[in-house]
Amino acid sequence: MITKCSPQDQSLVLDYFKERFGIERHLFKDFSFYGASKGRIFLGPKSLIDKPKPVTAGILIARISRFIKPTTNFFQLYGKFVKKNSVSLTRENATRFIRGEDLELSADKTSNASDGYVLVTYLDFPLGCSLLKGNRVKNMIPRPKLLDLEFL
Amino acid sequence: MKPIIPDQFKERYGKLVDDQDAFFSSLLQQLPKSFRINPLKASPKTIEKRFKDYGIVLKQVPWYSDAFVSKNYAIGNTLENFLGYIYIQELTSMLPPLILKTELQNAEFVLDGCAAPGSKTTQLAAFMENRGTIIANDINYNRIRALKFNIEKTGTLNAIITNLDLRFFPKREGGFDVILVDVPCSSEGTIRKNPTMLLKWLNQKKRIPGYANLQQQFIVKAFDLLKPGGCLVYSTCTIAPEENEGVVNWLLERRPAKLDQINIPEMKLTPGILEWNGEEYNPEIRKTSRIWPHHNDTDGFFLAKVRK
Repeated sequence: MITKCSPQDQSLVLDYFKERFGIERHLFKDFSFYGASKGRIFLGPKSLIDKPKPVTAGILIARISRFIKPTTNFFQLYGKFVKKNSVSLTRENATRFIRGEDLELSADKTSNASDGYVLVTYLDFPLGCSLLKGNRVKNMIPRPKLLDLEFL
Repeated sequence: MKPIIPDQFKERYGKLVDDQDAFFSSLLQQLPKSFRINPLKASPKTIEKRFKDYGIVLKQVPWYSDAFVSKNYAIGNTLENFLGYIYIQELTSMLPPLILKTELQNAEFVLDGCAAPGSKTTQLAAFMENRGTIIANDINYNRIRALKFNIEKTGTLNAIITNLDLRFFPKREGGFDVILVDVPCSSEGTIRKNPTMLLKWLNQKKRIPGYANLQQQFIVKAFDLLKPGGCLVYSTCTIAPEENEGVVNWLLERRPAKLDQINIPEMKLTPGILEWNGEEYNPEIRKTSRIWPHHNDTDGFFLAKVRK
């Protein structure tokens, strides 16, 4: 069951998006933040209904645990506003990434990003979220989304 | 094995169509693959260019500029599908949100009563440009997983998911501006997509009265949840009059409902029938629409637009 997100959690997520990715707060002004179990944070509509209780609202944008972890669906929607900590892939690597593989990149490909969660892009397309450690990109695309693409 | 249309099917529905041969032969033809562009994430121009570069030939649907058909069945394996820039959906399934486009512009609260897997919910959100609130409700908790997946994939931010039998959905103070009930039905209209339907049609036919009973409860409940002046679209993917005109007639007999004439430029619609198996329907029922597979190269479908 979802509830209104606490102001603390909302600030935590918004500050993280701004500091780590340069995503501006005002981009979310038309929507509300909601919280659920396991530290899940949703971005959804301003108004809800009283009954019945919603199962979810909008889309899951992040999980708060020891770290704040953005979701791939969040990046696919807001990735175009990311100004830093992104990693760009070649066509071949993008195909492998969308298939679910972890990647080892050359140092020049990861020079604009520090270790931690990063946006992964191909051309201008935001593909999703991954965990960067050194030159290694750990795949975090949810399994049901994985595809073996013919066209990209 | 080539599917065969049962004689009883021909006898039952042949008399309803303008051209029996064209109708029956259309049922045995494979549907083209269709999708719509998701304007929450992409524009038609960009998508058309990308698909051209892929060498995938697209044909724009004359009655809906965001919709395309292709003979290439690999459109699911495109980057644009992965990113939720396109949504693969049967053409007829796009009709209920399409005929609500005007009403959705200023709608604050919209209810999608039988929402899973979310094709229509996400299209409603696209027309609303992620404003207002959509309550995407479905009784089946397992199907809600698909609903959630598609809401997230398309970047639908204005929808909330609820899990309730529509018949027991609580009234909202002030009512809903727009309600869509795309009800569970005998699905006879989907034969082109699922030809095995013909093999089990005789059994499926026996279930029509049960479906109709449920649909009658759904349409009356949905009407009661509307605000005065609000708009309700009732739709099915079946040909059976008991589940279509019969259900709308049931509503007209019990509630002060009015029907809006449905008009989709460039699409051939057929008015609802006024008599079936000795039962006569309210003449207003002619404002409902049947979509026959051989008229627009689609599935079979039924639409009614109800005003409170």
